[in-house]
Amino acid sequence: MRSARVLVVALATLLAALAALATPASAIERNFAGSAQLDYQFVPTARSAKANPSTFDGFTMEFAGKLAVDFSERVSANMKVCYGCHGFEADMMYFDVRVADELNFRVGRFSPSFGAFNLRHDPANHRLSDKPLAYDMGRMLRMRQWNQGVLPSPFPDNGLEVNGTKWLGTSVQFDYAAYAVSGFKADPKSLDIDFKQSRTPSAYYVDDNARPTFGGRMALTFKVGETSDLTLGLSGMYGTYDPNNEQSYAIIGGDATLRLDKTNIRAEYLGRRTEFSTSDRTVFKYVVADERGDFSMKHGAYLEVEQALTPDLDLLGRVDGMFRVGNVESASELSRRSSVFRYTLGTAYAIERGLRIKFSTELWEFSDRDALTGRKVELSMHTALAGSF
Amino acid sequence: MMLRFLTRSLTATALVIVAASACHRGEGLDASKLPENIRADYDVFAHKCSKCHSLARPLTANITDDEQWVLYVNRMRRQPASGISYPDQEAILRFLRYYAADLRRIQAEKNGGAPVPAHSGQSPPVPSPPAPSAPPAAPAGTVDGGGT
Repeated sequence: MRSARVLVVALATLLAALAALATPASAIERNFAGSAQLDYQFVPTARSAKANPSTFDGFTMEFAGKLAVDFSERVSANMKVCYGCHGFEADMMYFDVRVADELNFRVGRFSPSFGAFNLRHDPANHRLSDKPLAYDMGRMLRMRQWNQGVLPSPFPDNGLEVNGTKWLGTSVQFDYAAYAVSGFKADPKSLDIDFKQSRTPSAYYVDDNARPTFGGRMALTFKVGETSDLTLGLSGMYGTYDPNNEQSYAIIGGDATLRLDKTNIRAEYLGRRTEFSTSDRTVFKYVVADERGDFSMKHGAYLEVEQALTPDLDLLGRVDGMFRVGNVESASELSRRSSVFRYTLGTAYAIERGLRIKFSTELWEFSDRDALTGRKVELSMHTALAGSF
Repeated sequence: MMLRFLTRSLTATALVIVAASACHRGEGLDASKLPENIRADYDVFAHKCSKCHSLARPLTANITDDEQWVLYVNRMRRQPASGISYPDQEAILRFLRYYAADLRRIQAEKNGGAPVPAHSGQSPPVPSPPAPSAPPAAPAGTVDGGGT
């Protein structure tokens, strides 16, 4: 109750600051943008599994519309609505109140600053059909066994973020962000985060516990040439995900992005430590260790090279994977130590302005056999049409 | 079987790209068709703005108001790791003002009337793309437009 009052006071203060800062612009400027991607994923190795429920073998469609409104030089709003596998969702609904470039308050619903990929999560902004495994939200093979990636992207949440950017001289850009958001959710005594609860209508805008998740990010961008720069970033997030605040999760990440003229090299690591309840030991596949037996670690990483061959044609190669250590529920197909590696080769070609066709082939290597097919190695192919305006 | 699928998919990819390139128009602008004094600015625009999104985003935004471009580019410059410094912003805005003027000219030709002003109540009609001889000045009331 007390924390609710504090939150109300904080929001009222922020709204008052917003009103005070809102120097009227000569005109309210609006910009509408959107994107859509239709992807066909062909998984020849999963065909024998007869519509394996944990693999999309067919079409997926996602589109998004975004409205950015500049009320003044200091206050703007962003609204983005997406439609995808989960139906309509609010990806962005926030206000930015900017005191200076170095100090901006973001309040509402947004994806908190974490990692490098999240800025490019829109399918029109990345050249492969799939996101890196660490950020996967459902296209990965065996997604249910793995409970998706380390931090499915995007991960819109409700809260407040303070962020800013500062150029140190003419060649170094420093960015920071610190935030408090609702955090991920799950039922009491769960063994992992239930990402569906972050998007189901029944719990959409309501926090499941009284404790926010806190996090932050720092990044440095070095201008190493007229057409080259290097970004190094560190991110972290900590909170509890069950209604009783007994089970915590902590996510850390490190990223490096090197842009050398027409070549982009991106590397990123994410690790999530997730505590789970061991009050009922019968639900586990393995004997619960008395020490350090109440959490799992999920690591994810990728290395991606994107080479523009012509202004309209990009060639991409990516190696990514995840490694999970820790007990699992008795019915799980995963082991105490499970891994998945994926090797991707793809191209993206701009047919028209704003319209790209994407092709990619992915070779998967799982440490565990598929329960239906007995396979450890899988193959998938994507063809997608992605447009933006 | 894996090797067969891989070979086939790569061959199919190559064929589709070859077929598509026969009838393509491309994502950005043809820099060789731009005025010489705007090409360097376009290069900065194309390089910086393609870091996070496709060039189609700004090029199809249909923004003809210079003031709106200032707000837009300011918002982009403040994006984390944008790599857009103030001098970069000046160059980007020089190109976008040229581009907006061109859009206004096209719109005026379509409407058969006077071109739409650069921004409400400020600029006179621009019949053709202006030469970006001076750095873009921020519109009145804009705090950090134009990189100043």
